[in-house]
Amino acid sequence: MQAKASVNQKTGNTLNNAFASHFAKSMFLSVTALAILSFIGTRMFTHVDLNLYGYMVGTIVFLGGFFYRFIAWGERPPTKIILKKGLKLLFRKSTPKTSVEHLATYNFIWNRGIYRWTQHVLIGWGCILSCFVTFPLVFGWMYFTMDDNGHYNIIALGMQVMTVPADGIIANLSYNALNITAVMVIAGVCMALYRRLKNMQARAEQKFLYDFMPLYMLLLVSITGLALTFMNIFLHGAGQPAMSLIHQWSVIITLIYLPFGKLAHIPFRPMSVLARNYREHYAEQAMKECKVCGDQYVSSEQSQDVVDVLGVNDIQFKTKEGHHLAEMCLPCRRKYRIAQFSGFPTHEVKVKEANQNAKG
Amino acid sequence: MKKRLYLELENCIGCRSCLAACTQCGGHEERNRNYVYDVNPLVNRQTMPLMCLHCENPACARSCPAQAIQIHESGAVLSALVEKCIGCQNCTIACPYGIPKFDTEQNLMYKCDLCIDRTKDGIPPMCASVCPSNTLQWLTDEEIENKKKQFNLDNGKWVTSMPYLEGETNVKVNLPGILQGITKLY
Repeated sequence: MQAKASVNQKTGNTLNNAFASHFAKSMFLSVTALAILSFIGTRMFTHVDLNLYGYMVGTIVFLGGFFYRFIAWGERPPTKIILKKGLKLLFRKSTPKTSVEHLATYNFIWNRGIYRWTQHVLIGWGCILSCFVTFPLVFGWMYFTMDDNGHYNIIALGMQVMTVPADGIIANLSYNALNITAVMVIAGVCMALYRRLKNMQARAEQKFLYDFMPLYMLLLVSITGLALTFMNIFLHGAGQPAMSLIHQWSVIITLIYLPFGKLAHIPFRPMSVLARNYREHYAEQAMKECKVCGDQYVSSEQSQDVVDVLGVNDIQFKTKEGHHLAEMCLPCRRKYRIAQFSGFPTHEVKVKEANQNAKG
Repeated sequence: MKKRLYLELENCIGCRSCLAACTQCGGHEERNRNYVYDVNPLVNRQTMPLMCLHCENPACARSCPAQAIQIHESGAVLSALVEKCIGCQNCTIACPYGIPKFDTEQNLMYKCDLCIDRTKDGIPPMCASVCPSNTLQWLTDEEIENKKKQFNLDNGKWVTSMPYLEGETNVKVNLPGILQGITKLY
């Protein structure tokens, strides 16, 4: 077994040979990248904010879980195909537009309902903006210095990008960025919780660990974060050290939990852009014609990929006529099944299927 | 007591109550997820319903790159998890019965979830609870076993599921006696 593995490795490139596994390679590269970026960002480690070292350790533990979960997931046959082919098609003209629609403005959630869109924008952008503030602070990619009294310098990746008055708009937005995002997240989470308590479908399917825990964790992070601000401003810092530890704990738990629960869809969602590109590109190449009616219903590539994936899972849908069921369009496939029951070849009758959409 | 959806296809009178009922299930958002087909549309009025048969080894879930299609502990193959479905439509190509529907606007697949909000508590799914002709029934395994005896299985004409399907399913299908020339007493 080991001999076989080493033979296989020789055919790979030399970089892969240096590591025992994908996991080791990804972990090594990302920790190295973080270290190098921090080295540059903190001007050779002279501006590390050691108050935040707990978050740094938490992030690295999170990366461990993240790679563990996602490398295993990427090994599933259908996932592998979409990742591989989608990444090759990453530089399609439509990619920027698709990415913005899928990952920034969430148009498809708008179509699922304005309520859900609002809640998702509040939670999603609240979290994304918070990450844009906190991770650069933790790893020292961004920090502030003061040369003249009353003016802050914003230092990004070791370079002074701007100097702003300490009581100006930009400075105030920076101080309060996390307060604003916390309010966004709290509002969004409350909307989500309300929906989970009211919506019958949600109530039927939801589980505490999968659906409620991430919401409660986000709520805890936001509330303890806001409490820190409250303690600073109104209580002159009383209780602040204890609260900052509680906040730190909640953030780290949320991070470590992220790859294993509902929040896993955050790092995972960009694959919808890959899937869209994959569908669009191969649809332009060649369309599959239904073996029965001749309608074009999907790209030949995807049809073949699905047949292969099912084959890997030992599922062979061979028909008596000798083709695969995936080579028939959907209405024909349904009629074909009816034909198996009745013995009469419904799918060969040249009549369009009756309306199948009841108007509730 | 575990109950199953059980179909006696030849009972179908084509009223499409099951379609209308499906739209009213909580979470189905007024869109039906099942089908009713004319068997020989230009000749007679025989119809048959077709719904998700909830395979024990579901091809849709196997082909899903996002692991969005989950299997409930009751055996029901659930509709795609909305946050996971990436809209690749592999499931619609993989399903041997052509069941999953796809909403391009919402970039989301949806399929029969056996009204999981009802069936998890032992309440029959919407389609079975409205079917006026006993085409769709909600029965225990024991009752299905009795049906088997009642229809005199030894002649080989009354078979549930295999070999008319592609694999073992949680929904049991009774093949139509009428079209096979067997008179059935209800």
